[in-house]
Amino acid sequence: MRTWSATGFMSSQPPPAEELAPLVYDELRRIAAHYIRGERPGQTLQATALVHEAYLRLANAGAPWHDKRHFVGIAARSMRQILVERARARGAQKRWAGLDRVTLTDALALAAPDAAMLPALDEALTRLEAIDPQQARLVELRYFAGLSIEEAADALAISPATLKRRWALARAWLFRELSEPASS
Amino acid sequence: MTSEQRRRVAALFEVAFELSPGDAARLLAAEAADDAAVREEVLSLLASHSRAGEFLQYPIADAVPQLLDDDPAITPGTVVGTYTIGRELGRGGMGRVYFATDARLGRTVALKALAPHLVRDPAQRERLRREARAAASLSHPGVCTVYALEEIDGDLYIASELVDGHTLRDEIASGRRHARDVLPTARELAAALAAAHAAGVVHRDLKPENVMRTRDGHVKVLDFGLARIDVVRPGADALAGRVPVTHDGIVVGTPAYMAPEQIEGGAVDRRTDVFAFGVLIYEFASGVHPFAGISPLATVARVLEHDPQPLGPRCPDMPAGVSEVVARCLQKRPSDRFGSAAEIVGALHSAVDAGAAGDHTTWWRTHQVIVSMVYVASAILAWQIKEWVETPLTVALFVALGGLATVGAVLRGHLVFTERMNRPHLAGERRRTGRPMLVIDFLIAALLLADAIVTAGVRALPAVSAVSVAVGVLLAAVVLEPATTRAAFGDEA
Repeated sequence: MRTWSATGFMSSQPPPAEELAPLVYDELRRIAAHYIRGERPGQTLQATALVHEAYLRLANAGAPWHDKRHFVGIAARSMRQILVERARARGAQKRWAGLDRVTLTDALALAAPDAAMLPALDEALTRLEAIDPQQARLVELRYFAGLSIEEAADALAISPATLKRRWALARAWLFRELSEPASS
Repeated sequence: MTSEQRRRVAALFEVAFELSPGDAARLLAAEAADDAAVREEVLSLLASHSRAGEFLQYPIADAVPQLLDDDPAITPGTVVGTYTIGRELGRGGMGRVYFATDARLGRTVALKALAPHLVRDPAQRERLRREARAAASLSHPGVCTVYALEEIDGDLYIASELVDGHTLRDEIASGRRHARDVLPTARELAAALAAAHAAGVVHRDLKPENVMRTRDGHVKVLDFGLARIDVVRPGADALAGRVPVTHDGIVVGTPAYMAPEQIEGGAVDRRTDVFAFGVLIYEFASGVHPFAGISPLATVARVLEHDPQPLGPRCPDMPAGVSEVVARCLQKRPSDRFGSAAEIVGALHSAVDAGAAGDHTTWWRTHQVIVSMVYVASAILAWQIKEWVETPLTVALFVALGGLATVGAVLRGHLVFTERMNRPHLAGERRRTGRPMLVIDFLIAALLLADAIVTAGVRALPAVSAVSVAVGVLLAAVVLEPATTRAAFGDEA
């Protein structure tokens, strides 16, 4: 793992999260490049594998984080930032604003307009974070990083059963925020 | 709503959402009878939950390729500035490329519409302008000419020469390559790169997709200096928690052709192109990527850690020198590679000369074999002399000659074997063994002369034989060997 040691990752003191985020982000971006522009069809990495790979790569680098959970959280947040920024750059808001109420609710339930929804989801997540930070983390882990119930539960240090209930609550809350923006 | 109320809402919801609506209503009536706001909020959330369908059920990452691909295409017929857009020719890391007609000059061009997210940052824009200027200054038949960088309604477009043909990727994929194409392709490509390097332009993203074969069979390199936007290291913005769009390098990268220093985020220079050239020619010649792994990540790991298999055995019809050139391009350390494409041109030239002189390695091989036989003959002669004139000196001379003859024959046999089986290492082996073998030849000649002097008074014939063999060995070492070596390899090492 010379990449990481070269950037000072092997120091005994884990650097603060603010410094880690850009570096992890770099790592994720590099890995993301593989499956998005894979040279040969059929070699595309699954999105879940993307985060796992980033996670494993860094986790195996001599555990520079005191806490692997910490890294998973950073990775998930990085994914959220990458994807939301990209959606914004593609003018997702305009398309989102163009959807009428009825189609909007249907589209949300069908999980159809993933890309167009992202900026709005990001804003709703920021509001959720103010109310309950753990739920926002949970959405990042499940939705942006693609972790399973068990993996996300492990990352948040809660039981899978608890996570399932919190996940249901977070989904319901966000769905309401997105389908009835005026009421929030 | 107070945080205490929220806590109650969460607790109630987490129980109620798994119950039937009737049970949920009873639960709320029992547990939250005192607070209508809490009841209402839980009911509202339950209603959302029941309608949410597949909302957030599948990770966004599953939709990422589609998300990144929705870079909207321009409809044919659209007029952008002075250009009328035609059909889409392809897409690269930085945007879509269209066939377009430039009304000003009435010529057809390839117009690349740069993806908006790449050019929002003013510094990035400025860099693109600079690189487009540098690329536009290149004029070489092997380089696709960049005409202009156009800024139209805030979007950036690069107009360049329209190349009629197909890419080397097509040739590799379809297996339409021939052994005899490898050398001309490598030479033209190296010459085009050398012209760019001489002008101070580094390609940075050389790969089969970026090299076209025109209808008349020549190669043309696309996207010089413009294929890749290097991602700026996140600075103050990222520390503040915002990830600037310019850092969004998701589209960047063809890891399979990236040099180790590029993968590791180090400095990129002409030697980075040299590495990519090596990968490209290797793949073109053999049809196999030198670092192919089971996944892109595995490929990256191999680029960083593994040496590829020598190209020679995979392509027996190719001039041996070419695989040596490729092997040197693929060195992990930039300082071990050619310093620029111009050096590749030179090395390929010598390789071709050596290749044209291909039969001359036969002379060199024959020379090695004959000299080895002469070694054996001189050892036999020393033994015969020892039989006729048995003194401690002749015994010692025989033992010494036998030893030297064995060492010399083994070294020459090793060279012949290397030449046949492991050609890329031959030059190094010849360098290593050259001086010791010269010393051995001189020693053998000297010992034979000593034998001749010892026997001269006793028997004339062996003395004369020893002298003539000694002279033969000396002449072979000093006159014949340099000649056969030069004929075979173009040097005397």
